[in-house]
Amino acid sequence: MAGKDGAGGAIWVVAETNADGSLAKSSTEVATLARTLAESAGSEAVGIVVAADPKAAAEELAGYVGRVVAVAEPNAAGNAWAQVAAQRAAAILASEPPGAILTGAGSDGRDVAGTLSALLERGVLVNATAVAWDGGPSVEMSVFGGRLVTTSTFVDGEWGIVTVRPNVVTAEKAAAAGTVDSKDPEGDLDLPLVKVVDRIEEAAAALPIEEARVIVAGGRGVGGDEGFKLVQDLADVLGGAVGATRAAVDSGWIPYAQQIGQTGKIVKPQLYLALGISGAIQHKVGMQTAGTIIGINRDPDAPIAEFADLVVVGDLFEVGKVLLEELRTRS
Amino acid sequence: MTLRIVVLTKPVPDPAAAAERLGPDGRLDRAASPAVINGNDEYTLEAALKLADAQDAEVTLLSMAPATGVETMRKGLAMGAHRGVLVTDPALAGSDGWSTVQVLAAALRGMEYDLVLAGFDTSDGVGGVVGAGVATLLKLPYLSSAAKIEPDVDAGTVRVRRISPTGFDVLEAPMPALIVGTQLLGEPRYPSLKGIMAARSKEVVTKSLADLELDAAGVGGDAARTKVTDTEKPPARSATQVVRGTPDEGAKAIADLLASRRLI
Amino acid sequence: MTEAGAVAYRLTEEQVLLRDTIRTLAFEQIAPRAAEIDRTGEFPEDIRQLLASQDVLALPYPVEHGGLGADLLTQCLVIEQIARACVTSSLILSVQALASLPLLLGGSEEQKARLFPDLASGKVLAAFALTEPEAGSDAAALRTRAVREGDGYRLSGTKRFITNGSVAGLITVFAVTDPDAPRHKRISCFAVEVPTDGFKVARLEHKLGIRGSPTAELNFDGVLVPEANRIGDEGDGWKLALATLDRSRPGIAAQAVGIAQGALDVAAQYARERKQFGQRIGEFQMVQAMLADMDSRTEAARQLLYKAATEIEAGAADASRWASISKLIAGDTAMAVTTDAVQVLGGYGYTDDYPVERMMRDAKITQLYEGTQQIQRLVIARALLGKPE
Repeated sequence: MAGKDGAGGAIWVVAETNADGSLAKSSTEVATLARTLAESAGSEAVGIVVAADPKAAAEELAGYVGRVVAVAEPNAAGNAWAQVAAQRAAAILASEPPGAILTGAGSDGRDVAGTLSALLERGVLVNATAVAWDGGPSVEMSVFGGRLVTTSTFVDGEWGIVTVRPNVVTAEKAAAAGTVDSKDPEGDLDLPLVKVVDRIEEAAAALPIEEARVIVAGGRGVGGDEGFKLVQDLADVLGGAVGATRAAVDSGWIPYAQQIGQTGKIVKPQLYLALGISGAIQHKVGMQTAGTIIGINRDPDAPIAEFADLVVVGDLFEVGKVLLEELRTRS
Repeated sequence: MTLRIVVLTKPVPDPAAAAERLGPDGRLDRAASPAVINGNDEYTLEAALKLADAQDAEVTLLSMAPATGVETMRKGLAMGAHRGVLVTDPALAGSDGWSTVQVLAAALRGMEYDLVLAGFDTSDGVGGVVGAGVATLLKLPYLSSAAKIEPDVDAGTVRVRRISPTGFDVLEAPMPALIVGTQLLGEPRYPSLKGIMAARSKEVVTKSLADLELDAAGVGGDAARTKVTDTEKPPARSATQVVRGTPDEGAKAIADLLASRRLI
Repeated sequence: MTEAGAVAYRLTEEQVLLRDTIRTLAFEQIAPRAAEIDRTGEFPEDIRQLLASQDVLALPYPVEHGGLGADLLTQCLVIEQIARACVTSSLILSVQALASLPLLLGGSEEQKARLFPDLASGKVLAAFALTEPEAGSDAAALRTRAVREGDGYRLSGTKRFITNGSVAGLITVFAVTDPDAPRHKRISCFAVEVPTDGFKVARLEHKLGIRGSPTAELNFDGVLVPEANRIGDEGDGWKLALATLDRSRPGIAAQAVGIAQGALDVAAQYARERKQFGQRIGEFQMVQAMLADMDSRTEAARQLLYKAATEIEAGAADASRWASISKLIAGDTAMAVTTDAVQVLGGYGYTDDYPVERMMRDAKITQLYEGTQQIQRLVIARALLGKPE
């Protein structure tokens, strides 16, 4: 290959795991994207799993990419994970120059990307909403609250790191499973370890909303706990998760983990059903790329009418209750 | 003992004004866009100020920005930060994330601190990778997604509640450390008018690349590792269907749309 | 003829930050309360606490007495931003400043040191009691008497239309000390700390607007005021009242500009969103023209106000003229712009679903209090033509 930095190098994925050791859903999506890009680039897709016991996640990841490097790193348990993982990944990548490195754009993925960027002295393209291959990754992202879409690349054919938003691609296994190479961690960890001294479970942390196919969300108009019961019922019948605006979270009706928008999660479900949500810009940036957007709102002039597919003007309780019956009948 | 806190604050175009302008390189023209303190940085600033309310602490703001960043910094000083450091240099225009990481790390090398606080991400870049990069270059313990920050000055350690998918992880590390905060740290205070009046007499130190002994060739727009190749308005969604009528009609319209798109 | 003064103004970085801070505070904390304050007609104690906690009430007082020593323009910027959200709330600062002006202008250092800290912190509210049932704009016709007795004075009489009179702890009261003196030497000013024996809030008015600001009728029935609370010398009252109005009228103009801007904000937003005949009403040229006129008039009134505040602060010889011109123009602008805002919103504007009807009712007061528009014209004409023989 021409001497350009990174050309022909593999597309690497630094995978994240769940608390039970399984592969995070976002990593299955990122791995699927890596495989697609590798096909375009004429190279291979390779995964890295760094965990105290990487076996389960590595095998799962091998379902998506041709090769997985599994690093059994005892320090990955009991310590903050991302910097440990990034250091082990960086050591591997130092001897195998990549074509690009992909991570998720959630908090762990960002931490890995930021750390890798400093360790490898490489650029990061963030929050990809789409990635194509054009001699290198060509990354689409949404900026300024969705009012502009930019396409960016690394300069001079250099390789770099790309963080990928959830739900940008649909996870799809490869025709044939790849191989898993186990690798022992080599050398010391340079960066200080951060101990995990306690883990606190918080009730009702159901399906993470970033991963939900359907989200039913409530805003100020829902009015309180009773209203959120209706939101929950609709989510249940549609097999979805419950989301909320900042106003609803600030009112204490629902935990912060469910907040969507500028200061909450960014989601891209196939269906977004918004109850009592005006669609102010701070909320819109978190959900505007949803497949189908439907609003139930009393105010016909609310901004959500600008970008929803369907807005039903009316009392969300009245419409919602009839809808619940209707959906129960039809499903 | 005084707890020394540096809060990274970035001036960003006011998201409420929706008046961002791009330069010819497709990057934000910061001089032409009205700036405010990045919203997520206000949460970490608030956390720092709360610590300073409760104990002996000194809060320093650190920004890398055009010279007009002083004005944005005044708001942070009015909220109660004690002083500011602004890294500004014409060569820094068009910096990307990696450049920002190097500059902030260089600035921090010349400062004394126990904690460095960074916001979850910025409303203009939305990358959320700068904090981790700075911590890595400075080899600082890195604690991210913080919902609560509890330093123990006597023990020289800090505890952080980190948001996890299932609740919280409690992290502990020796200070100095770098912490990335979240909205759960609490609503930022309004600057009091006394704070605003007092802000005028607070010190803001300006530093150039030369002051930081950084080579302009390694940072700034010319050294950017990424470039914008295209910008476009997002495709408009198809026209919104608006249904006014009885609850039955509204509910039926929704169910019909769901059925036609095979969502039920 | 009076020529425009040479004093230029340009907002300082600090004034801009202060204005923007108050704008945010007003938008986030005060605007959501405005409709309820209007509906219940109750004095917004929570807003008073909010303004106190943010040091807003400290603006007019000297730094050495717990204040911020803000100039008149800065005070006007703050009043404008609060009034943009809720006029009643802006009156808390306006009246605090108004009632303290006699002390600021004519009070002794002892009085300032004793009375200002609690006013600056917002612990004590102040009211300004000049108007009487038989003496509105004609302040020389006052009947309230202050009669020497021992180390002080006994005050007797009735004051009417006293804003915040029922919630104040300190009232600056103008009373006749020498009925036989020439009219400009007849009256004196007193700082009356209430409640006290002989003081009573006789009744509260039911009003068209500013409904959360209690407008009280106050009875003084032999209220004993120590000499230490007389502001200035005996007979200084008239001079103090006029000097006070020179500095307080721009505050009313600031309220008026704020109301106009608030109504314009609502009307413009509505025009962007409301659709009729298949398009946004803001796309109709007739609506555009109304909005453009509203914006232009509001900006003109604002610039005049800022200039007036700057001239008065600089000690212009024609301060009274500047004060009256700014209030005259701003008050009429507020009335016109709020009326047009209701028009832009059509039938909705006439309902309490939107704030413009409240703003229109509130705007009217700016043409009435601290001298009606007719009185302002009188002052301006006198400055132009000289006093009648």
